[in-house]
Amino acid sequence: MMDILCLEHLRKSFGDKAVIHDLSLAVPKGSVYGFLGPNGAGKTTTMKMILGLLKADAGTITVCGEPVRFGETKTNRHIGYLPDVPEFYGYMRAKEYLRLCGEIAGMSVQQISQKSSELLSLVGLSGNNQKIAGYSRGMKQRLGIAQALLNDPKLLICDEPTSALDPVGRKEILEILHRAREKTTVLFSTHILSDAERICDHVAVLNEGRVTLNGTLDELRKQHGQGRLLVEFSSQDDLDRCRQLPELTQSFIGAQIEGYTAILCVPDLPAAETALLSVLVRESILPNRLENQEPTLESLFMEAIR
Amino acid sequence: MDKLTPYLPFLIPILIIELALMLTALVHVLRHPHYRFGSKPLWIIVVVVFQIIGPIVYFAFGRGEE
Amino acid sequence: MNAFTAFFKKELSEAAHTHKLTVMGLVFLLFGMMNPLTAKVLPDILAGVMPDGITITLATPTALDSWAQFFKNVPQMGLIVMVLLYGGMLANELSRGTLTQLLTRGLPRKTVVLAKFSAASLVWTAAYALCFFVTYAYTVYFWPEGSTTGLPLAAFSLWVFGLMLLSTLLLGGVLFKNSYGCLLLTGGLVALLSLLNILPAMQAVNPMVLPSNGMALLSGTFPASGFVTPLLVTGAIIMSMLSGTIFLFNRKAL
Repeated sequence: MMDILCLEHLRKSFGDKAVIHDLSLAVPKGSVYGFLGPNGAGKTTTMKMILGLLKADAGTITVCGEPVRFGETKTNRHIGYLPDVPEFYGYMRAKEYLRLCGEIAGMSVQQISQKSSELLSLVGLSGNNQKIAGYSRGMKQRLGIAQALLNDPKLLICDEPTSALDPVGRKEILEILHRAREKTTVLFSTHILSDAERICDHVAVLNEGRVTLNGTLDELRKQHGQGRLLVEFSSQDDLDRCRQLPELTQSFIGAQIEGYTAILCVPDLPAAETALLSVLVRESILPNRLENQEPTLESLFMEAIR
Repeated sequence: MDKLTPYLPFLIPILIIELALMLTALVHVLRHPHYRFGSKPLWIIVVVVFQIIGPIVYFAFGRGEE
Repeated sequence: MNAFTAFFKKELSEAAHTHKLTVMGLVFLLFGMMNPLTAKVLPDILAGVMPDGITITLATPTALDSWAQFFKNVPQMGLIVMVLLYGGMLANELSRGTLTQLLTRGLPRKTVVLAKFSAASLVWTAAYALCFFVTYAYTVYFWPEGSTTGLPLAAFSLWVFGLMLLSTLLLGGVLFKNSYGCLLLTGGLVALLSLLNILPAMQAVNPMVLPSNGMALLSGTFPASGFVTPLLVTGAIIMSMLSGTIFLFNRKAL
């Protein structure tokens, strides 16, 4: 699989403050790549360097195999970009703005009008004839996505597209991004983990200018974070009996116990589950609930930024 | 004042332009109630009282971002 | 359509939508009418407000008085209006971030500067021409026999000075990111040039000759040849302001 975007040993500091330390990252073609990290981790800085808006102190960036150079916008023909708070000319209407963008990109009149109506209906603004000055933040964000997708980019970069929105607006944006993945690779930054979990297949966690976790969501779930098994007993008696069984003492070390519920941390989830079930059957202990808990992105994230 | 009468055909267009400038600014003040500073009443006074200068100052400094 | 045309069109339509065009047009039209009229009516008004019994003798106004108003009002008021209205042309876009999407869409930064300069120059040229021809028409109507040699050169020089102010505003925009910085830079430049004008040695090259000596040229007290060097210097300043703006803008982190 080809990498659409490649960052190698990227560094950037503002004055004395180093913001990015030796960041390397590869975004495979066709993925939805979540770029996670707490506020101030350097997500926006990295994106601006990819777009040639900021100069990297060291390291290389390649987009579709071409190197990115600061101030030159050649590689940007492959990229569609949505800034965190997109700003528009308030006196224009959505169609006029897209026309301006299309003309700047050198598209023909016919292409522009065809693409505009297609994208405006994708983002749900097709019937809208309002001036942009009257738009809500969600509408601006949606127009921003339409603008970013105008030239059929191979890579769509969105900076915190959902952070400033209410739950309804967030859901709409995520759905649009999800639909966009059919045609383009998506790289988006966020600090809202549930958003990333909903649509990403790859994630990278950035903390204090370094990538601390990187891979597909499935891999990460497997590699990191132990499996957790939740057992809810029907009585204190059952719980105590279980704890004293020799086969299970090992598993109960470090278990979190609350009321009749125990959460066991086990290295090998399927094996532990089999063992537990057979013991429970043998002892005729019937639990109220038995649950296999996968590590959540949140637990992975908290571990990565520790 | 009699001496001005012959020039009325030239003075009237000037008055019309001043009025047009004032009205352009006044309509804008009323329809866009966001200013970089000042308030609606202030800008109405500035635009109406200070001919020519008022509207210019409003469009240069007072008009808010759209 | 190429990026320059697209952005140039956007600049002009923005000037129309933000009332820059209306205000520039109306103000310069107003000046155009007032110049000859003030020259014509002023002696009558002065005579009218004088108390009875006192008579003052004023020279009958001529076409030169009308142009004296033109070369006083346009540099003093017209240029200020233009500078105020265009002060934020680059600075506001940079501080709001409206250019970001367009630049990442492939719009070269050089094109932004040149298209903005061209569009603002076009508006300045149109407003100035309107003012000039209205004054000209009235002047010819009031004083058909009046002759004005040197008028084209004087008018051209003032126009070039306006272009220099526009290029200064652009440099200010990339340096300061807000319109007040641009206004300060432009005001500072004009103040500096005016100060330099006190030195006789500087007068031969100083761009301040362009807006200030138009009337002297018309009345024959300043030679036309005295405009050549200041015009060349001003042209060079405009070029370096624009290249400086492009140079700095290309290196600016956004």
